[in-house]
Amino acid sequence: MSGFKRDHKEEEDGGGNPFQNIEKTTVLQEARIFNETSVNPRKCTPILTKLLYMLNQGEQLSAKEATDVFFAMTKLFQSKDVILRRLVYLGIKELSSIADDVIIVTSSLTKDMTGKEDLYRAAAIRALCSITDATMLQAIERYMKQAIVDRNPAVSSAALVSSLHMAKLAPEVVKRWVNEAQEAVNSENIMVQYHALGLLYHIRKSDRLAVSKLVTRSIQTLMYTNVSLQKSSYAVCMLIRIAAKLIEEEGADRKSSKSQSPYFQYIESCFRHKSEMVVYEAAYAVVNLNNSTSQEVAQAISVLQLLSASPKPALRFAAVRTLNQVAISHPAAVTACNLDLENLITDSNRSIATLAITTLLKTGAESSVDRLMKQIATFVSEISDEFKVVVVQAIRALALKFPRKHTVLMNFLSAMLRDDGGLEYKASIADTIITIIEDNPEAKETGLAHLCEFIEDCEHVSLAVRILHLLGKEGPKTKQPSRYIRFIYNRVILECPSIRAAAVSAMAQFGASCPDLLENIQVLLARCQMDSDDEVRDRATYYSSILNRQDKALYNNYVLNTLQVSMPALEKSLSEYINLNTAQPFDIKSVPVVAVSKSENDVKQKPEGMLISSGPTKISPSRDENFADKLNSLPDAQSLGPHFKSSEIVELTESETEYVVKCIKHCYAQHLVLQFDCLNTLNDQLLENVRVQLDVSEGFEIINEIPCPKLPYNETGTTYVIVKFPDGDILNSVGTFGAVLKFIVKDCDPATGLPDIDEGYDDEYMLEELEITLADQIQKVNKANWGAAWEEAESTFHEIEDTYSLSSMNTLEEAVVNIIKYLGLQPAERSDKVPKGKSTHTLLLAGIFRGGVDILVRAKLALADGVTMQLTVRSTDQSIAELITSAIG
Amino acid sequence: MGLFQKLVSFLGVGKKDVNVLVVGLNNSGKSTVVNNFKADDDKVTDIVPTVGFSVERFQKQNLGFTAFDMSGHGRYRDLWEYYYKDCQGIIFVIDSSDRLRLVVVKEELDLLLQHPDICQKKIPILFFANKMDCREALSSVKIAAALGLDKIMDKPWHISASNALTGEGLQEGVEWLTQQIRELLSVKV
Ligand SMILES: Nc1nc2c(ncn2[C@@H]2O[C@H](COP(=O)(O)OP(=O)(O)OP(=O)(O)O)[C@@H](O)[C@H]2O)c(=O)[nH]1
Ligand SMILES: [Mg+2]
Repeated sequence: MSGFKRDHKEEEDGGGNPFQNIEKTTVLQEARIFNETSVNPRKCTPILTKLLYMLNQGEQLSAKEATDVFFAMTKLFQSKDVILRRLVYLGIKELSSIADDVIIVTSSLTKDMTGKEDLYRAAAIRALCSITDATMLQAIERYMKQAIVDRNPAVSSAALVSSLHMAKLAPEVVKRWVNEAQEAVNSENIMVQYHALGLLYHIRKSDRLAVSKLVTRSIQTLMYTNVSLQKSSYAVCMLIRIAAKLIEEEGADRKSSKSQSPYFQYIESCFRHKSEMVVYEAAYAVVNLNNSTSQEVAQAISVLQLLSASPKPALRFAAVRTLNQVAISHPAAVTACNLDLENLITDSNRSIATLAITTLLKTGAESSVDRLMKQIATFVSEISDEFKVVVVQAIRALALKFPRKHTVLMNFLSAMLRDDGGLEYKASIADTIITIIEDNPEAKETGLAHLCEFIEDCEHVSLAVRILHLLGKEGPKTKQPSRYIRFIYNRVILECPSIRAAAVSAMAQFGASCPDLLENIQVLLARCQMDSDDEVRDRATYYSSILNRQDKALYNNYVLNTLQVSMPALEKSLSEYINLNTAQPFDIKSVPVVAVSKSENDVKQKPEGMLISSGPTKISPSRDENFADKLNSLPDAQSLGPHFKSSEIVELTESETEYVVKCIKHCYAQHLVLQFDCLNTLNDQLLENVRVQLDVSEGFEIINEIPCPKLPYNETGTTYVIVKFPDGDILNSVGTFGAVLKFIVKDCDPATGLPDIDEGYDDEYMLEELEITLADQIQKVNKANWGAAWEEAESTFHEIEDTYSLSSMNTLEEAVVNIIKYLGLQPAERSDKVPKGKSTHTLLLAGIFRGGVDILVRAKLALADGVTMQLTVRSTDQSIAELITSAIG
Repeated sequence: MGLFQKLVSFLGVGKKDVNVLVVGLNNSGKSTVVNNFKADDDKVTDIVPTVGFSVERFQKQNLGFTAFDMSGHGRYRDLWEYYYKDCQGIIFVIDSSDRLRLVVVKEELDLLLQHPDICQKKIPILFFANKMDCREALSSVKIAAALGLDKIMDKPWHISASNALTGEGLQEGVEWLTQQIRELLSVKV
């Protein structure tokens, strides 16, 4: 009976897919048939299809396998079968990045793209684009130009889109196609217009003036002359996006309000466009502009309001989703739509209903929470996980806004936890509960209780591990820690090894923080030492022996606050140490500490359309560990010791100047490596021997300068200066350096970028002063248990205390933000969050000074006519504690 | 092969398809030669250096030719060998006015003849001493001597002086090749 059932099931899911059980080796074997003298399309077509299917399923081919099958496939060019040929194009695209010598098909493809068979042409262009590298682009340039202005819209579109892709390889070559693109913009075909506008924008996007000209001209044609152009809603949507970007870029220098901008007026004029897509795009663009006033978004919001009453579900959905997104930034404006949103609560499309309710929750008053939550409960089981996550996020926002509602919300969340759902959904619930716990001490015990209950029956290992970790951290601080032990120990009995190991670690936290539980914990840990899994046994043995010592300092360093080093760096240091073969013990202090990752609620990049992303001129070096390689290649770098930390980017010029210089300060134990990224924005100049001359503060010493040999137009080059901190004089290690950019200018022809004459002349350019701050020299460290570390430091560290009056600060929040920024320390135990309506607050901070000196800081703040602060610094080094107290003031 | 087909191909009435490989240094006139063989409708007016290869078809005396016109550029010569396996004939085009590179031609020819996919096969090779119209062109006899063609014992070969622009000499050569391939096919059956 059961056998019968299983068969039946297999039949069901195997049903439609003839390729389900294909195997790589078989397919590659079968593909040899392509090599036969006369091609049989009836046989080859299914085999090629299988190959494509397999590649799309993520099957990996080695370079040899890919090359063999690629060359076999090239022989199919002899067949005239249209379907087979089009499959070949697809095959070329799939294999182009893995196989060698793929340029072999260039002539075959150029022949097809210019040939008589229209069914081949567009597809051949796309395939050609995937096999062409920068060196080959010249060879096909002529064909691309012709294809862009081809009368067949499919060909023209394919060529335009392919050009866009190729612009990544060889922007300079594609720039030469601007006239063809310009011609294509005037095409009758709406797709061609759209793609042509996209390419034109891409070609010009690094030049703001050219972009604004492009937009202005397109707007004029759209509005006054060419009626047919108006038809391309796609092109109009793209124009709106470009215009919105221009408005943002103008932002900084704008004196009058946004509504004076012609671009803004253009976008608003699109509210009256025939196409709903355009109307929506315009409204979306306006509400997403940064720093808009409620007046500026008012009209857009009423457009969205209208759309939200449309009979078309897609429009209603788009409109409420957008309202939902802006509900936080413009609550008052969105409140105006409340009536319409109330109507949508009962929408038969559950996604729309969910968005409507969650929008109302975000903007609503405390009194409406209960009613809306009840409403959601009626259909939460019917919506997909993705929308459940939206509901959860709304609840999180509510809980932060109305802390008193935590019981209702928490109950709701725990009910959601008990339902079925995927990892992402469950994780978002757990995250929300954790946020609520951390934000609202009153909710802590109930929240933890819900989580305990949840892990009793949690199918997601990663989530269970996180919750166990949280229980270990928060449980010991509750009124009755013992009640959590049972939940944790149950996991040891019932779960898989990774959860058991996490449970052991959690129990050890209780042992280290709660002396009266220690004895029981030791008994449990002893049992865990008999576990079948090594990791679980190892942890149990490790914790049990540390807890046996009864030594607070050991608890602190090895149980409560664990190692903070960066793991890749530790691995590297250890392998270097092993190779050294020395008798010296390994110094853990020589390993760079890990940078504390930014919390997720930091400014998220707004998602942008593919085309309307920031231009190529933007200097955006990647973070710390990536720097290391680059820095290590510098001449003196090896002698500087391990890299300690890198600062944020500091701009030393205004953004719209001839030369743009940005600095990153890389700190080492005794040295600073200053990395200056320079951009030359003058197209008639080639700069050589570019360097930064520094006027350093007293005690600092310039060790070396590494100039940038050549800086052509529109390229970013890097020059370095290596500076040594004042010897043995930590108190003087903050300062201000004067900076001048020095270089040799060679005038050159803007078209070719080649210098007119060999001789150049010296020139210089004043930069803004460069500050070397405390924060540059301090790495943030996350202390999971700050209190324990502080207590231990009382007897072993140096302490300095001072009182300040921060008269320029008006609120506690402002003071907290500024202190953190100024000192560059990591806030612990969420003390960076100031509870509402309090007049005193204590900020707890931790970090490491270059050279590996620990720092703990407690700042007691009181609000009284400005903010007064009592600052207590504990550090292993007296002079660093002095430096910190003296730097403030 | 079924009995009927055997009969048909033995009698030489059925239309057969054969693959030929067109090789030679760049600029020797391969694409021009192939273009000349094509039906008037399919001919192209402007020929550019080939990148990789291009597949062309033409008919000669009831035989359907599929020609793999390879690029002769140094960068792509290594790729010829991918197409050695399944061809029934080779057309080797030489620019007879390019005395300087005749040694390179010999080198490439020797590599071809030694290739495992070629050396065992009794495959006919047709040489075109192309660009015979140029003033400094060498005669086909001299070219045959320079390339040491007389040492090719195990394969039928033939050399024709040609002018691919006018078509002079091409017909004679390709007739020979057709004949050879036809013989080969009937022996195989
Ligand atoms: N005078 C003269 N010129 C010829 C003759 N055959 C070809 N050409 C010219 O020689 C040049 C090269 O011809 P192609 O056919 O492109 O040469 P190819 O061997 O295909 O070159 P690749 O594809 O680069 O390997 C063209 O300019 C032809 O017009 C000929 O018999 N006499
Ligand atoms: Mg050619």
